Amino acid sequence: MTTQVPSSSGAFISITGLLTRGSTQFGLWIILSALWAVFASVSPGFLSTFNLNSLGRSVAVDVVVGFAQMVVLATGGMNLSVGAIGVCSVMLAGYLLQVLGLPIPLAIAATLAFGGGLGWLNGIAITKTGVNSFVVTLATASLFSGGMLILSHGVPLNGLPPEMGAFGRATVGPVPALAIVALAIGGLLYILFAHSVLGRQILSVGANARAAEMSGIPVSRVIVCVHVLSGVLAAAAALMLTARLGAAMPAVAGDDWLLPSFLAPVIGGTSLAGGAVSVIGTILGALLVSTIRSGLLILRFASFWLQFFLGVFLLAAILLERYRSALSAREQTRQA
Amino acid sequence: MKPLTFLLRQQWSGILLAVVLGIVALSIANPTFNTEFNWFVLLRSICVVALAAFSQMIMLGVGQINLSVGALGGLVAILVGGLMDAWGVPAIPAACMAVLVGGAAGLLNGWLTVRTGINGFVVTLATASAFNGINLGLTRAVPFYDLPARFVAFGNGRIGAFPLLMIVPIIVTALLAIFLNRTVKGRHLLAVGGNSNAAELSGISVSRTIMLAHALSGLIAAIAGVLAVAQLGSAQPTIGSDWLIISFAAPIIGGAGLSGGSVSITGTVIAVVLIGLIQNAMVLLAVDPYWVTFLLGALILAAVWINRIRTAGMERAR
Amino acid sequence: MSLALRSITKSFPGVRALNDASLTLVGGEIHALMGENGAGKSTLIKIITGVYRADSGIISLEDRDLVFSSPRDAIAAGIAVVHQERNLIPHFSVAENILLERLPTRNGLVDFAQAHAQTRQHLAKVGLDIDPATEVRRLSVAQMQMVEIAKALSHKANVLLLDEPTASLTEAEAETLFRLVRQLREAGTAILFVSHKLEEVLSLCDRVTVLRDGETTLMAAPVVGMTRGNLIEAMIGRSERPVVPRKRAPQLDQPLLQTQALTTSYGHKAVDLTLHRGEILGLYGLVGAGRTELARALLGQGKIRSGQVLVDGAAVRVRSVRDAIKRLRIGYVSEDRKYEGVILDHPIRSNIAITVWDSIARTLGLLTSNDEIAVVAPLAARLEIRAPNLEQHVGNLSGGNQQKVSLAKWLAADVDILIIDEPTVGIDIKAKSYIHELINELADRGMAILLISSDMPEMVAMADRILVMHEFALIDEFVNDRRYETASTRIMDAIHSATAGRVG
Repeated sequence: MTTQVPSSSGAFISITGLLTRGSTQFGLWIILSALWAVFASVSPGFLSTFNLNSLGRSVAVDVVVGFAQMVVLATGGMNLSVGAIGVCSVMLAGYLLQVLGLPIPLAIAATLAFGGGLGWLNGIAITKTGVNSFVVTLATASLFSGGMLILSHGVPLNGLPPEMGAFGRATVGPVPALAIVALAIGGLLYILFAHSVLGRQILSVGANARAAEMSGIPVSRVIVCVHVLSGVLAAAAALMLTARLGAAMPAVAGDDWLLPSFLAPVIGGTSLAGGAVSVIGTILGALLVSTIRSGLLILRFASFWLQFFLGVFLLAAILLERYRSALSAREQTRQA
Repeated sequence: MKPLTFLLRQQWSGILLAVVLGIVALSIANPTFNTEFNWFVLLRSICVVALAAFSQMIMLGVGQINLSVGALGGLVAILVGGLMDAWGVPAIPAACMAVLVGGAAGLLNGWLTVRTGINGFVVTLATASAFNGINLGLTRAVPFYDLPARFVAFGNGRIGAFPLLMIVPIIVTALLAIFLNRTVKGRHLLAVGGNSNAAELSGISVSRTIMLAHALSGLIAAIAGVLAVAQLGSAQPTIGSDWLIISFAAPIIGGAGLSGGSVSITGTVIAVVLIGLIQNAMVLLAVDPYWVTFLLGALILAAVWINRIRTAGMERAR
Repeated sequence: MSLALRSITKSFPGVRALNDASLTLVGGEIHALMGENGAGKSTLIKIITGVYRADSGIISLEDRDLVFSSPRDAIAAGIAVVHQERNLIPHFSVAENILLERLPTRNGLVDFAQAHAQTRQHLAKVGLDIDPATEVRRLSVAQMQMVEIAKALSHKANVLLLDEPTASLTEAEAETLFRLVRQLREAGTAILFVSHKLEEVLSLCDRVTVLRDGETTLMAAPVVGMTRGNLIEAMIGRSERPVVPRKRAPQLDQPLLQTQALTTSYGHKAVDLTLHRGEILGLYGLVGAGRTELARALLGQGKIRSGQVLVDGAAVRVRSVRDAIKRLRIGYVSEDRKYEGVILDHPIRSNIAITVWDSIARTLGLLTSNDEIAVVAPLAARLEIRAPNLEQHVGNLSGGNQQKVSLAKWLAADVDILIIDEPTVGIDIKAKSYIHELINELADRGMAILLISSDMPEMVAMADRILVMHEFALIDEFVNDRRYETASTRIMDAIHSATAGRVG
């Protein structure tokens, strides 16, 4: 994994030391553990099975949404249509399951392929026209959601096969099934970026597309791949959301996904400039956001203030990250 | 230069044509289009949108992005509503205070972007969240309804088809045009967007210019928020929630260059009218309103594509 | 009025860019600054314009010692620069660009009438007759340059630095520029004319300073009485470095890469070359000769207008860089080491393995760091890449080690044909010899190497045969006897005749 810092510069003697000199993920672990300790001590209900399960389910979807953005950030681009693809996928899944009555595995496969197809359109538009991904995906977000809503009128579909909702509620031991799915996807992405050719190609395109091209990397193909992957992940998140809600409700995805899709990866150490990602960081980032949300609820803070804290937190996290990487760059230079 | 040649040379000639054709087509398709009341509705609907678009347009002019346009506008809307409803402040002082807060919020965006060196995209993403949060926190999702009668009357009033509300965007458009075209600070703002390196070497402070741009953007978004409250007759916490895409769409369709430094007030206004026309048409023709969203996306892509062809053509001509 | 730089030394990690270099400018003179790639010219320019600070040495203006901590300090001191790349606000008018920071106002608003009037005066000084309201992006490159010069002059600059000003100009436009420059000289401005074009310097300039290997080889020499030979000698002449001999003379019997009458969209005209297995074919030329462009054409960038490229006897059409690497087994060590040759933010390990990820992967395209290390570690050891470990970011390595990484990835790819573009520019002596030895070794083992270099000693030491390129055409080809006198003279003569052939 590419977020790196040589930690061999002597013993850490303070928490701030740990926070600033360890890797981003390590710092996040510390903050998370601290928050959990605080929330649990104030209200034991925080650690109740009920709360943890509900936390787990909502985090699961947020994590996969974060992944959908993360893979595009890896190439130095962004995908503003993550929410739109989510909406489209939710409606398609609902339609396939309820109206066409397709068996669940088939509907899932078709939905994922559909999401990938939309992502493919994004990738092709970006690479063929040379327009930057911000504008293209801004436009396709409107195109996709508008188009889908024209077709479906945004009517929620409540008559899904009961297995969907059941899966959404299921647990394997203490862990919700949805969380396991999210972790499994995370595992696959980790393998992609740490142990596969495509993953390395993606990261080199993000770090320096010109150098990658001159080393034989098929840059355009990689960018299209990444957008296809982003579309598939957005569709996956949509399916998980549908399972969690037990119904296909397009209104819940969409613009609501924009901020979380950036929040999780960026807090977790994925660079906006491209070339470095952290799967674990994205998971921790999403967990952090959900923890704060849940904790505020438990502490009976008005949950409205969550949004405010999230915004402040994002800024603080990035500032910390910059400070940290400036420190580590200085250390690496000294060692070289 | 003959007027026709002048028109054809402009980047916005295409969308102007679309607007004219659209008006003609709609008049034929549905007789209620050309009624005084419908024109009033149409004109009123573009007031807030125009300001939201200008708010983003200034950012595009300086080469930055402001994702908090909607959230900032929404927050100001709540503030002005709260001041009038909960604190009984009369309309004009309340509006002034709220707009100033908006300017300050914009300045905060600018200050954060410049001092921390964090990408403006991320900064405004974060502040958007923060502003939304304060919005929800103050209102608990309950709108403010008790507004001074004259304020609401201003929002509803009209002379024939001309909405009183429209006075504000007209004034803002004129002031903005003067600022960007005829003042030194305005020219420096566009210079920074066009080539920040050249601007810096010429002695222009890029940081201060970016902060100014953010402050102006916030100010205009704030005015949009106040207008929205007047238009709705109540301060809804959902104000601003759908401004983001339109705030980009209008300037881009109006011909703004994506790299910065090249924006068109006229083009943005025509684009806003075009979008308003499309929305109006959807209602009159009883077409699914989601077509607007769809068309918006298509228009953005078309505008950018055409822009690229134009620039490529100009490169080759040189 | 005079601007003097004395004993300027500037070092970067591992390499000394300027070593005791000096330059003196006097008002009313056109002073040329010449030097090849890596000579230190651009470093000196950056010091004059305040971008860099010298490690030691003195800058003095009218006998007052100055220190520049930023480009604005240099501008304030009266030094105006017109760079190679345009630096204007594209959508603004000529008037706004020239008067950007001092727009005239009336009643608080910009007074465009006044601005246009002032601009017309500034434009008149450079003889540019255009409407001040014209948007700068609609002008030709030559006109844009004039606008920048007008802007520089409007600041009452005493020193005007023109960096490769004729790079994008036609002959007629260049003539107009020269007329202007002569007028400025009459008016007393000190003009620093940076150029690599011999004929320009000889016809336009009064004095010339030449840099080579960071040192001043010719200091403010009068151009009157200067010959092309003198200049060429000063730029690329002898220096005291040992020659690294080849172990064995190659058999030039297996052509691996050939071009026949190759004409490209870059401007090459009917280039014929043959590169054999085991051969080091040198491609020599001054800056701007078209050598790097030829390499890019061979890699599938740029269009081939006519002629053929043959690999191993068969005519091929190179579709992309990836195609060149994977199918035709051609590698390219880029001239732009830092931003094209390596990925600075990534570790050594992935930088070297990048060309072979496809082939070392197991099923499903999976591979581990250990798979990479298995390929990379032996190469890193063999090339003696100095770093604590393979995870070190390449950006933290010295220039020499970065170049080794850039080379190593082609060794990993086991290419048959390797084009090496300016391998030792800005690299310390020790790494230089190491890389030379390595190139020898690769050729000994059968690799076909096209060596592009403007470093004369390097060329003479390494190449088996030498091609000389000038203005996108090959002007000479000969077998290298590895004797510095004969080879260097032959090259210099070839360039000499080629440049003499031009109508000055």
